[in-house]
Amino acid sequence: MLRLELFKIFKRPRTYISFGIVAAIALVIELAMYADGKNFINFALQGINEQFDMRGNILNGYLITYIILQTLLVQIPLLVALVAGDAIAGEASMGTLRLLLTKPQSRSKVIIVKFVASLCYALLLLLWLAIVALGLSVLIFGAGDMINLKSDAMVIILKDDVLWRYVAAFAFAALAMATVAALALLLSCFADNSIGPIVGTMGIIIVLMIFSTLDLPIFSVIKQYLFTTHMVGWKGFFDDPVPYKAVGTSAMVLLVYTFLFLGASIVWFNKKDIQS
Amino acid sequence: MIRIFSVVFFCMMSAVSLAQPLTANQLFLKLRARLDAVKDYEADVSMKIDIPFIKVPRLKGKLYFKAPDKMKLERNGGISILPRNGVNLTMNNLVPNADAAVIDAGKGILNGKEVRLIKVIPANEQDPIILTKIWVDENKILALRTETTTRDNGTVKMDLDYGRFEKVGLPDKVQFQMDVKDFKLPKGVTMDYDGDTKPAAQKATAGGRKKGRIEIDYQDYKVNKGIPDKVFAEKRQ
Repeated sequence: MLRLELFKIFKRPRTYISFGIVAAIALVIELAMYADGKNFINFALQGINEQFDMRGNILNGYLITYIILQTLLVQIPLLVALVAGDAIAGEASMGTLRLLLTKPQSRSKVIIVKFVASLCYALLLLLWLAIVALGLSVLIFGAGDMINLKSDAMVIILKDDVLWRYVAAFAFAALAMATVAALALLLSCFADNSIGPIVGTMGIIIVLMIFSTLDLPIFSVIKQYLFTTHMVGWKGFFDDPVPYKAVGTSAMVLLVYTFLFLGASIVWFNKKDIQS
Repeated sequence: MIRIFSVVFFCMMSAVSLAQPLTANQLFLKLRARLDAVKDYEADVSMKIDIPFIKVPRLKGKLYFKAPDKMKLERNGGISILPRNGVNLTMNNLVPNADAAVIDAGKGILNGKEVRLIKVIPANEQDPIILTKIWVDENKILALRTETTTRDNGTVKMDLDYGRFEKVGLPDKVQFQMDVKDFKLPKGVTMDYDGDTKPAAQKATAGGRKKGRIEIDYQDYKVNKGIPDKVFAEKRQ
């Protein structure tokens, strides 16, 4: 059944639009950095350059990858929603949902398989991102010590200490994408047309991300409970020392949200009166 | 008899003059001459940077110095970081040139050693250094501590430990303490992760300037071998 779901996802041409978008954004950033990266770095390091003389290959592949990941922070969840939001609602709009449920398997299994298939797509998208962002950037700009600019500090990570952090960061991003996929799937259960859940997921993520990003006291209370706040937990791996406790908490929050969304999807879908 | 008396008198006078402690000015000139004798060096170093807004592990590399003020840390393609704005990590740069007013501030004890404290004020009013206090080991003509007040970059304190390279007047270990300005970027740009550890900047004292420390362990020196200027000419990124 999973194979069938994966076949459905990957036979659709629009699935590959996401891969195209990720590659295009990564390439544009890499080209821009190749052409004008030094000015960008000088601007970003202005406060430090006034007092310190930094030399060496600062604009290296590891830094470019970090910039790309930061830029794609909003886009990737939206691309995941494009597929996961279509999982149930798409079948309903095409009139194949009833046919699917005539097979001898529980509705819960259908939801779980749809979720796993969406997750596989998200993982492939992340793998593709790793290839075009990390692989290509290191190829073009070379590897080296990585700098991570935070609002009040600069972290320098030695070259040999960087790669495992990217592996961990991509693993964490996969967890965040699982949450997004579960949310999109939940919304997909409510609708008979895939546009609604896709746009709904995008809307929820954008609004919550604004709450998470804005540094206003009014949002500080609710911020910690929003899954979007914890989706950037991958950045924790680029701190020194790595705040494992905070990253672990973020991972737990994402897991709880994922199971919550998935559970709600199963409950709702089991009760749903399928008419198409 | 007169000849014998003259010889004895001359010997006594010589002994008296030799026993006379150096004046502050003489001491400073001797120290300055010792510093000036080192035209260049290259050294394998291990550097620990403890700046409130910079988190960096211990850096190992090769430190190049060429008088009067050229300095470069090379790290096999890695990123190197050194203070700038004229206050680099050399004593040549933190001790004024010979043309200066020297004040004797008496004797004292530093880390169990008897030292002379001299205060040096550059004659040139445009000099980036306003005042340098130097704690000098008179017997070895070595500066054990300096405290330099600069025009634009606050105060730089330097503690020097000597050992294997004492003969050439170069330290085994140097600890710098300097004033550093705050560093801030908008959170909207950096999109910080809120789960981050307590920002390093908060650990420092409040105010616009904070204290930063740099510790350098010198493993080995190659002194006065001649270092071409092109070594320092790498384009900064």
